[in-house]
Amino acid sequence: MRIRLEHVTHAYAGSDESAAVQVLGDISLDIASGDFAVLMGASGSGKSTLLNLIGAVDKPTAGRIFLDDNETSVLDDSRLTMLRRRSIGYIFQFFNLIPTLNVFENVAFPLSLANTPRSDVKSRVAEALASVGLGNRATHFPNELSGGEMQRAAIARAVVHNPPLILADEPTGNLDSRNGEMILDLIRSIHKSRRATIVMATHSERAAAYGDYVIGVSDGRVGGVGSGGWEKEPARDHYSAPSPESVAENASTPTPHPPLPTPRKQ
Amino acid sequence: MILRALVLRPILREPLRTTLTILGIAVGVAVVVAIALSNQSALRAFSESVDAVAGRANYQIVSDVAFSEDVLRALQPFWPRGVRFAPVIDAEGIVEPSLQPIRLLGVDLLSDLHFRDYRYASVVTSGKESAATYLSLFGNDSVVVPATFAHDHGLHLGSPLILNIHGVRRTMIVRGLLEARGPATAFNGAIVIADIAVVQAAFGLEGKLTRIDLIVNDESLIPSIQRIVPPSARLERPSRRNERVEKMLRAFRVNLFALAGVALLVGMFLVYNTVLISILRRGKDVGVLKTLGTSATQVFAAFLIEGLVFGAVGSVAGIALGRGLAWVILRLIGRTINALYINSTPEAIELTPGIVAAGIAVGTILSLLSAIQPSIEAAQLRPSLLLSGTVWRRQPRRQDQTQASSPHRTQILVAIVCFVIAVLLSRLPAWNGIAVAGYVAVLFVVAGFSALAALIVTGASRLLRAPYRAAFGIVGELASASIPASLRRTSIASAALSLAIGMMVAVALMVGSFRETVRVWVDQTVSSDLWLRPAKGLSNADSALFPNAISADLARIPFIAAFDRARGRGVLYDDDRVLLASGDFAVAARFGDLPMIAPSKQSEALLNAIARNGVVVSESFSLKYNKGVGDDIALTTIHGRRSFPITGVYRDYSNDRGVVAMDRSLFIRSFDDDAISTVVIYLKPGIDRDTARRSLEATLGPKYHAFAVTNGEIRGEVMKIFDQTFLITYALLAVAIVVAVLGVINTLAALILERKRELALLRVLGMTVAQVRRMLVLESSVLGLTSTAAGLAMGYVLSWILIYVINKQSFGWTIAFHTPVRLIVTSLAVTFVASLVAGLVPSRLARRIDLAMAMKAE
Ligand SMILES: Nc1ncnc2c1ncn2[C@@H]1O[C@H](COP(=O)(O)OP(=O)(O)O)[C@@H](O)[C@H]1O
Ligand SMILES: [Mg+2]
Repeated sequence: MRIRLEHVTHAYAGSDESAAVQVLGDISLDIASGDFAVLMGASGSGKSTLLNLIGAVDKPTAGRIFLDDNETSVLDDSRLTMLRRRSIGYIFQFFNLIPTLNVFENVAFPLSLANTPRSDVKSRVAEALASVGLGNRATHFPNELSGGEMQRAAIARAVVHNPPLILADEPTGNLDSRNGEMILDLIRSIHKSRRATIVMATHSERAAAYGDYVIGVSDGRVGGVGSGGWEKEPARDHYSAPSPESVAENASTPTPHPPLPTPRKQ
Repeated sequence: MILRALVLRPILREPLRTTLTILGIAVGVAVVVAIALSNQSALRAFSESVDAVAGRANYQIVSDVAFSEDVLRALQPFWPRGVRFAPVIDAEGIVEPSLQPIRLLGVDLLSDLHFRDYRYASVVTSGKESAATYLSLFGNDSVVVPATFAHDHGLHLGSPLILNIHGVRRTMIVRGLLEARGPATAFNGAIVIADIAVVQAAFGLEGKLTRIDLIVNDESLIPSIQRIVPPSARLERPSRRNERVEKMLRAFRVNLFALAGVALLVGMFLVYNTVLISILRRGKDVGVLKTLGTSATQVFAAFLIEGLVFGAVGSVAGIALGRGLAWVILRLIGRTINALYINSTPEAIELTPGIVAAGIAVGTILSLLSAIQPSIEAAQLRPSLLLSGTVWRRQPRRQDQTQASSPHRTQILVAIVCFVIAVLLSRLPAWNGIAVAGYVAVLFVVAGFSALAALIVTGASRLLRAPYRAAFGIVGELASASIPASLRRTSIASAALSLAIGMMVAVALMVGSFRETVRVWVDQTVSSDLWLRPAKGLSNADSALFPNAISADLARIPFIAAFDRARGRGVLYDDDRVLLASGDFAVAARFGDLPMIAPSKQSEALLNAIARNGVVVSESFSLKYNKGVGDDIALTTIHGRRSFPITGVYRDYSNDRGVVAMDRSLFIRSFDDDAISTVVIYLKPGIDRDTARRSLEATLGPKYHAFAVTNGEIRGEVMKIFDQTFLITYALLAVAIVVAVLGVINTLAALILERKRELALLRVLGMTVAQVRRMLVLESSVLGLTSTAAGLAMGYVLSWILIYVINKQSFGWTIAFHTPVRLIVTSLAVTFVASLVAGLVPSRLARRIDLAMAMKAE
């Protein structure tokens, strides 16, 4: 799914005594279908906001957003709901599994919204769970899982309905480095196998290395301060990590890596 | 799946919240169902008795006074045209010496089988049922009683039975037993049947009838039958009696239902609160679901269904509970209805489909209604806000500070509008004798106070902050600060509790004022020295009577200065049953002390009444029919309709239907009834009351079965009946309080679960479990104090409406305002303690918080 943003700005309605805060200013972007793009920037730079706008969770204050040829910024609430339901998978920093549903039900949720036949649901959920290595945890509730397992369940939920677009907001932000890597490998391999467009926000250069390219975000602008436009920066120029392919191949064996910045809470 | 995620699993996972909410609704529904059930049972008992006695008759010629049996001859020509008629004497009386009230039914035992369904269980002792044995039923002392009655009183065929009817005492012989069917079931079997000729001869009613039952198949004959009806009687359908009773009890029932409404209203707050809390608590999950593509409608439906589930389950539980409660209420109102309105012994409680449906509908619909607003709110929330978790931290502050002035201004505006509407409504007159506008005004006052709830809670906790810090240190300060932090939840809980307390205070004020007014009135009215009565209790005053012959005996007693012979009976006025009372006005004018409204001197009113053959009426009568001094009222006497001038209006709290009182001689002339229900005795100066009492009972006791009671005892008895009447009121209010306390427990429990992290943090920082618990109990004390204060204020406003609008319009009583300080202080103390307990229960949850877990998750 192709993503285009044209001169998008976003401001949060003023709360407290302050006036409205402009968080994103005049952003234009074009992410081609099938890309694995990484939004990288410091905490508070506006990545999540941008991701929310792309993901039709929020509407921009000004500017236009297109997913393929649909201008999402003009759609009404129910259209946006349908779009999110059918076309987008979400992966969050805090996993956001529904605590009252077990793993199977959490993953099945997008399918049940789409009224998928029961037998189909069963096989597709099983398949999704197997692909994230959680085949044997289907009946567990989220509070019985570790962080890494929760995130894997969340990934299964994000991909189970085969959305053309997957958004991931700091998917490793709440995990230790080992689990983090496992998740990143998983996302990478999903990108390969499902051919979905993936946009991932992160503040970690190491994580950013997993994408095809990096879009820098700072102070609500893309491509660095002062620059009106943006450019794709090849991911590997930023950080020399083992090639995603090799990581995927050796996913079971721990790869040695240089010291990483400890993941911080946002 | 959405349902399972947002509603079903949480309902199962949070048993405390679920149970409390369901219990709250159940209690509300139970009260309504119970009142409906017991009302139905009491009324049905009465109407079944009427039907059983009326039998197959579809018309009756009835009279409040006996009429001549000559009319039977006039009815003869209708016989060939298919009209069947049966003469009846239907009289109230008592059985001696047990003094149990009974109904004596005199019928023509031969022809009456057309009308009523009797079956003789046994007649006289022997098995041979010859004509002679049946003839014994017509013996001049023969009566037939239901087998159950005989069993209860240890009677057999041949047993003597002493009856006192209209003051005439006769010993009758039980000559037959009836199976429990037809009239034998009326009045719970407290009925004695005899041949009409026997009754006429035995009780001085020769040539008299009280009723003729008719079977008229040809409606076109009615006008010609109407023409032969004696002037003192009327032709009507038997069901008219039931309708009249129903009408008479209407205001009483409306009042009960209004009280039940309070319990329901409080229950509604509870559902509203529960659904709101579950939305607030699952806000993040709602956000996730919406991000994943759940539509607003689906979210709305899910929470609405939560309300529905609570409503439906609560209603079903409520109906079961209500059945039990009805049993209790029946004991309570049964007594009231008997004391004030009709003699009927309520029977079994029957859960009709109508009542079940109504109960379920009330509970479910109200729950749905109260779930709508929070569900809409959940549906409209933006997923991004929910996800970032900012909404709950920011929005309350937004309401509280930023736009501090504007929401507060709207709240105050709404409250003012509500109060103004309430004031305007309370000036409207009653509709059909029911204070509809008054009740609606109450709703508006409640709405006004509810609109202010948030303001009151913040204001109060701000006020309490300094004293709480001083008294309880940091724990106290945290407690007072946390209440406004979760303003929405706490203000609803507080509104519900204030409402319950407000209603309680209002009713306490109303009943207290009423009680004080009645006490003053009784002290003033019951000024005589002794009362002579044919039975002990007040409640069967109409069934037990003295014969007029007692007058001569009384006149011979040297220590009596004067005596006033009272007799009352129900008569129809304007198709309503009012009380017609009589007394010796000349004596009352000299010795009595009637609280007058107009003219101010009682002697003027009473002597005028004697001189002009007039009547004095009670305030309730005067208000209800808009009649005052100088107006005439028409009553049906034995001579037909007669008009009587009103010469005075007096205050009376014994009867809300209205009382018309006339001098005894006029009463006897008009109604041919010289029996006496009570003799009010004034002693000569210097006579000791107790000596007089003993001497009176010694001389008159054996002859007339007379009891002498002192004015103190009478006063005590009046107050006892009064308190009994309002027992149900208190019971219902207690229920409302229970529901409200449940709401507070519910809210606090939710607050604790939600603040797990905060509480865990406090624990990590070094607070002990005991301190955390103390903090939580202090929080509920803030809530309790606030609600008590608000409730007290609301109570005063509501009591004003109750006293000056609703009571005045429903019953025609003028009540002087009086604060029953002790009652109010105790009940407030009780509710405050209850709110503390409400904090204590959920504070146990604090112990269960797993620190590591609570700190780990977001
Ligand atoms: N709901 C909100 N209301 C107001 N300001 C917000 C809200 N969400 C985020 N912000 C502000 O917008 C800016 C960007 O936030 P965000 O997009 O979450 O950044 P990032 O994800 O890059 O850390 C921050 O300064 C943050 O404080
Ligand atoms: Mg972010």
